[in-house]
Amino acid sequence: MATYSNQHWLLSHIRNSFVSTDDTGMCETVMLSDDMPKHFLRKFQTATTTTDSYRRKALAPQRKSLPNRPTTSKNTDTATPTPLALLQSMGTGHSDPPLQEADFVCYPGLDLSDDEDLDTSTHSFDIQMYSEVGAHRFRSNTAQKLEKLDIAKRKAARIKSVNYNEEVLLPERKDFFKRKTVAPKQYRGEQTASTSTKKKSSDDELSDEGVRSKLSEQLAKSPKQVQNKFIEYARFDGTSQVGMQTKRINVYLNMLPEPDRNYPLKICVLSTAKIIEVIGFVCFKATNQYPEVPLKSVRHYALYMTEDNDDMEDFPPLDNREPCSKFGFSHLTLAERRPLPPVTRVDYHSNLVTKSMTSEEDKVNMAEAAVRALQNIDLNGGVADTGGSGNGNAHDKVREYEERMLSHNEMLEAPIYRTYRLSIIDKRFFKYDVTLGVSGERIEIDQHKNTKFWPQKKSVSTPIESVAHCEIVERRQLKALLRIWLKSSSSSTSSTCTSAPLTAGIPVPHAGSGSGGSGSAGTAHSPNSPGHYPQHASPFGFLSGLHHHHSHIRFKHYDFDTDLHTAEQINNKLNCILKMRSSDIRREFLQQRERKQEKQQAKKQLKL
Amino acid sequence: MEATEEQLILATGGYDHTIKVWQAHTGNCIKTMRFVDTSQVNALDRTPDKTRLAACGYQCIRLYDLESNSTTPVINFDGVQKNVTRLGFQEDGNWMFTAGEDHRVRIWDMISAPPHCSRVFDCQAPVNAACLHPNQVEIAMGSQNGGVYLWDVKSVAHEQLIPEMDASIQDVAISPDGHYMAAANNKGNCYIWSLNSSPSQQLSILKPKMKISAHSRYILRCKFSPDSRLLVTTSGDGTACLWKTEDFTKWRELSVENYWVWDVAFSADSKWLFTASSDGVARLWKLQTKSPERKYTGHTKAITALSFKDEIVAD
Repeated sequence: MATYSNQHWLLSHIRNSFVSTDDTGMCETVMLSDDMPKHFLRKFQTATTTTDSYRRKALAPQRKSLPNRPTTSKNTDTATPTPLALLQSMGTGHSDPPLQEADFVCYPGLDLSDDEDLDTSTHSFDIQMYSEVGAHRFRSNTAQKLEKLDIAKRKAARIKSVNYNEEVLLPERKDFFKRKTVAPKQYRGEQTASTSTKKKSSDDELSDEGVRSKLSEQLAKSPKQVQNKFIEYARFDGTSQVGMQTKRINVYLNMLPEPDRNYPLKICVLSTAKIIEVIGFVCFKATNQYPEVPLKSVRHYALYMTEDNDDMEDFPPLDNREPCSKFGFSHLTLAERRPLPPVTRVDYHSNLVTKSMTSEEDKVNMAEAAVRALQNIDLNGGVADTGGSGNGNAHDKVREYEERMLSHNEMLEAPIYRTYRLSIIDKRFFKYDVTLGVSGERIEIDQHKNTKFWPQKKSVSTPIESVAHCEIVERRQLKALLRIWLKSSSSSTSSTCTSAPLTAGIPVPHAGSGSGGSGSAGTAHSPNSPGHYPQHASPFGFLSGLHHHHSHIRFKHYDFDTDLHTAEQINNKLNCILKMRSSDIRREFLQQRERKQEKQQAKKQLKL
Repeated sequence: MEATEEQLILATGGYDHTIKVWQAHTGNCIKTMRFVDTSQVNALDRTPDKTRLAACGYQCIRLYDLESNSTTPVINFDGVQKNVTRLGFQEDGNWMFTAGEDHRVRIWDMISAPPHCSRVFDCQAPVNAACLHPNQVEIAMGSQNGGVYLWDVKSVAHEQLIPEMDASIQDVAISPDGHYMAAANNKGNCYIWSLNSSPSQQLSILKPKMKISAHSRYILRCKFSPDSRLLVTTSGDGTACLWKTEDFTKWRELSVENYWVWDVAFSADSKWLFTASSDGVARLWKLQTKSPERKYTGHTKAITALSFKDEIVAD
């Protein structure tokens, strides 16, 4: 029992128990990065190594120790010296000792357990040997085989057996083989038929003799019935398959009316059938059984995990591509496929619902939140929610909101986390491929891992509160320049970003190139030169010095290079979020800009 | 299952070791029976009283009860060697014949319990096909070495013909009116003989009538329609061809492209045709329009045999 005080043992136990008892298949998704030490080692190496040769050397022993698992600590223990020895014998010439898996083992000290015997076990009660004391003992294979044979024997007793090779025994009855005269009616029928066909020999059709078979009659009674459109899935029927593994599943049909949907459809399907084929087969059976309930195509449906009381669980549906043998469920629910965001996030800040919308209820909540946010803006009156449109009259505004309500979906989906692949423009002309993640809580910029040439930069995460505005500053045929404005306060935002101080009298580009020189510039960029992007020499930077008294908020921006479509998507999404939040930063930003524009115009007029 | 009385049943069997029973007019599968794990289904036939279904395959012959819900056979033949290629019943159900690759055609007394063998004919080559004459005492046979036989089951009297050398006879058929006998081979040729019953109650007299180059490939089955006005040949070329017995010209061609058409069955009024093909689907064709009216889907592999027993309702 000493093991219970061993945290590592407990960790390992929990893990193994999860893996061995999970029949959802989820553990595979969750534990993709199963071999943590190796995972970390590789990650670390790719991040730090600069020469290929070194990496190759490091990988070779790593491959050798592939079967190691962190949980089977004994193995790791015995295997790890090998890579170390190998590396050292190679004499890599590096001053630092090369890293190895042992440095990353998640459960160090696991093997220090007091009980030596337990080390060989798998740390899971589900995988251990059954002792015969007190525990239920599985019947041996022989016992099961014997029972099977017994059943077969009893079955065979009911089957009459005939020896194929037995002696020929001539029939006793004399009339056993009795010659019959071929039915004269048929004969006559043939005669009349031939004469009638002769009569109209030019005709390619055989005459109707007036005979009618039972089949013709039955077919006539059931006129061209609608062929079951899922007929192609009928072949996955597992009933009475010989030599093929089958699976019996009770499937609740979510689309059926009330009484029926509480009773599962019992199906028997081939184990080799993929989930999508199981769905097809369920549809096939359902169509046969409930012809009055029209079904859509198989793509519309998904199989969800279910308790046997037909309550659907909030897990994602079973993967269409997996064979059904992989899952051990006795009960499933066939339902319309629910929309699934790329990443499901749990929202800790509850003011906006950013959870994936799994039910109609959530959608309603979301819609309400959106409406509330809009009303909020309305009540705030003067809040300009589109750049510089503050002078629109109330009527226009209402219409505008109505229009926006029409793009309901856009509103609803805005806070859902989405990622985009685009390039960030760093120091005027360097471009990196990054992933921009936008959600109702934050935006994230993460440099692509496959960017080999440039050193990996830290990802940046900015809370949505610091995001001021998003705009497309340049639209071309295929390309667009997207700009996201952020509050640049030294305390709140990450220090890795270069800032374009609005209060400084100097033009923005200079500031950018100046501070952008430091290596810690992260994924930030600096604004572009006015020559390159003329619009950037905005009155904004130019005039900012004039009203730095009004505000102490400094703004900086990221520039992204992407196609127009993506740019518009991000622009809409982000501005939608900002509008719904009616953020102060944004208001401040837009007001500043407006003032600047006014003043610039005033200046122009003065010049004129 | 009173279903057998009320509804018409189509039975199919194939390479997936199962026999399926279908409601003929809807295409719904009524039940599935396991055949032998090691064998395909070579041929199916129902007893004239329609209560039992006989199936044969590699080293097995089995009879299933269609009226019970049980899917296990009621009669099983032990000690069968090689493939059993055909079986069929005498019209009263008194006896059953089986043809096998053990060179023999056997007659089984089905009245006695258990059934026992009452006659044997040795073809001296694996027998691919056998068919009962409507007079119920003569059996036509086709062997792998190209021989076509006609045997009077009461005696040892028989006739042997070899229409084509180096060809294997795949199927034989006798028209229900007793006028013609057809034998189809693996070269795609179909030979027709006219049959004339002898006045002395002896073996029918065979007269070669004609040769049809029916298909470019293997012929798998040939069958006459119940009204004897049509002959159907099915082939590995993916077609089933219907020939008018009047002059043996082609009347219709049904196509299941890229698949072998293994077996066929007519409706009693000769207006419908079931086909079994290697795509695992049985089809019901309306001959007049050549249109497939029903599909029977559910087999996971090729369907190699089917059986359908229809009846005439009224004129």
